[in-house]
Amino acid sequence: MSYASFETKEQASARALLVPLCLFMGALLGFPTLINLWYSFSDVSFQNMIGSFVGIDNYVAAVTNPKMWQALRFSLQFAVICTTIEVGAALILVFILHPLLVKRPWMTAILMLPMMVSPALMGVMYRLILNEFTGAVPVYLEMMGYAVNFLGRGNIYKTVVAIEVLQWTPFAFLILLTARQTVSYELEEAAAVDGATGFRSTFHILLPMMKPALVIVLFVRFIDSFRVFDHIYVLTGGGPGNLTTSISIYIYKLFFVQNTLGEAVAVSILLLLMSLTLIVVAMRLVVRRS
Amino acid sequence: MLKSRFLTAGAAILATALSASTALADITILAWPGEPAESAFRKVLDLYNSTEGAKNNSKASVIYFSQQGFKEKMLADVAAGSKEFDVMLTATYDVGLYAPFMTPIDDLVTEDVYKVVSKNSIETQKYEGKTYGIPTDLSLHFLYYRKDLIEQLNTDPAWKAKYEEISEKILGKKLSPKPADQWDWDDFIASALFFTKSINPDSPTRYGTVLQMKNLLYNIMLWQGTVASNGGNWRDKDGNITVDSPAFKRGLEIYKIITDNEATPGDSSTYEYGEANSVFGAGQVAFMLQWNAAVPEFNDATKYPTVAGKLGLSHEPAGSEGPKTHFHSLGLGINKNTAKLDEAKAFLSWLATAEPMKLYAKEGGSPPLAEGLMAEIAGDRPEMLLMGEHAAKYGFVMDGATSAKAMGIYTNMAENFTGYWTGEIEQDEAIANVVADMKKAFAQ
Repeated sequence: MSYASFETKEQASARALLVPLCLFMGALLGFPTLINLWYSFSDVSFQNMIGSFVGIDNYVAAVTNPKMWQALRFSLQFAVICTTIEVGAALILVFILHPLLVKRPWMTAILMLPMMVSPALMGVMYRLILNEFTGAVPVYLEMMGYAVNFLGRGNIYKTVVAIEVLQWTPFAFLILLTARQTVSYELEEAAAVDGATGFRSTFHILLPMMKPALVIVLFVRFIDSFRVFDHIYVLTGGGPGNLTTSISIYIYKLFFVQNTLGEAVAVSILLLLMSLTLIVVAMRLVVRRS
Repeated sequence: MLKSRFLTAGAAILATALSASTALADITILAWPGEPAESAFRKVLDLYNSTEGAKNNSKASVIYFSQQGFKEKMLADVAAGSKEFDVMLTATYDVGLYAPFMTPIDDLVTEDVYKVVSKNSIETQKYEGKTYGIPTDLSLHFLYYRKDLIEQLNTDPAWKAKYEEISEKILGKKLSPKPADQWDWDDFIASALFFTKSINPDSPTRYGTVLQMKNLLYNIMLWQGTVASNGGNWRDKDGNITVDSPAFKRGLEIYKIITDNEATPGDSSTYEYGEANSVFGAGQVAFMLQWNAAVPEFNDATKYPTVAGKLGLSHEPAGSEGPKTHFHSLGLGINKNTAKLDEAKAFLSWLATAEPMKLYAKEGGSPPLAEGLMAEIAGDRPEMLLMGEHAAKYGFVMDGATSAKAMGIYTNMAENFTGYWTGEIEQDEAIANVVADMKKAFAQ
């Protein structure tokens, strides 16, 4: 058997093995994508689930609605702020707590607790905890002479950011801690023997070694914060006004409350296209760097 | 002999078969969750299952979604053709939205039903001339106030003087205290300012009132009495949108003045029903506008000892057209997809009779009973008389507020008006946004 024919046979069997996966992906992603594409070009509603073709009307309505841009701006800003704080705080915590957690690994489980609470429940919890009259935090602060209204207009943005950060910093911490623990002790010892300690060891040995995990955690946290919904919806309903309306809340309201399903799906597809563009650019950069 | 035995046996088999064919199947009801109505409705179902249901061999059970997103879940279910429930919730403000997924029940609404349930509440369950639900709960608004505080305001000379001073200083006109049932909106604002500690350090409460300003459609229903009392409406007789009007502007200003002067808690922009109750119940405010459903809670000394026994109820303050209150009914109708239409109709027919409705009222529900029945249960639920009276005298439904687009319009109002009250956008912009949205919605 020639090498060429062997390769062709192997390629053919590889393709055959891919068929179930392709069918699975097609059923799971392809069908919803196609039906959503149709919805985005139709006047579909809950009363008329088939709808008729309306061309690009939904897309025009979507991009000419200032509320979409406002929601998009909120989500982007929210994602950048939360991701930066979460990953920064997690990194600092990893360097501080790593020696302690090596000796007492069970403590990691305690640090993970906030992550295990459902985001909607987190919203309900903070609605109670931060309430001006019944909330523990404002009451104790007032006893100390500080009157802070966490859910008031002036602070609500900072509050929703803080809740997101408190809940998801443990996730970033977990990934970065795992990455930190993979750096071999021998390497650190060798660097120390060569005179690299403290600052130099952190920035020239540890951080470069943790870089892949750092990129992944930045990426995951950005996506997750960008599509924030639960705790904001429970806490503020996207208000006051549209001050805390994220793009997910905006789409939800278009879909379920305004009953403009076509426009809601059009916004989702536009977001998908934007995300795909970003991912392709990011992947190219990563590949080029590597 | 043998022949007659065969005939008897045959007749018995036939009778059994016939009775089996007339026996009804079990039904499932999707109802609105939340106390006290939930427990009351379960008692009504127990009664059905032990009487009429047992007779028909048809058992009724109830399922609840959580309140958050209830309507969205129900909409998705009925649009998908779900048969998981046979009887479903209806509400005045979205009867138009759900009408395509429901079976009209005009054949059930006989003259006998009007003797049990008030006629005008059944009207609120109609869309395009057809009836879609038997109303089970009436929702409207009262002015809840602390009798002890408002009485002292009207009798204590020092308080009176301070009230006049504050009203003159902030509102630019010297107002004198009045009993709550004589208030207009200026009195409402002035009283809110008077009972606010940052304005009047001697105030027994921290804030005058508590406004519910979360970005939520129900909060707009609560607010729009300010508009209707000044003659405002969503649309005029010709279908023109009339939101850009003095009545709407006045309504918006009432909340704005109170918010800007911090006479409502600073986090009111996240408040809805529950938060407002806890603030009033804890004695932190002197009065509030609230849904009628809260009355039993405030009469319960174990729950709110500060307020129990001191609760005063009145109609909303008056505008140029006198006092008004938004009102709507929640009810039960039939899922169009049900395979148990006869069973669902049998249940609703029974529900619209005196015994279950009286039981529901006694157990804490708020059914819109006809006058005669209302008087019968007044001993147990005195505020029910007030509800009936207020619905008849002051109740309004905005023009277009039962259409398929009503929920979207309310939500858009909530976004824009809460934005105005908290200083996010200007009043003109908020009104213009709402008008544009309504034009689009009603054009579709």
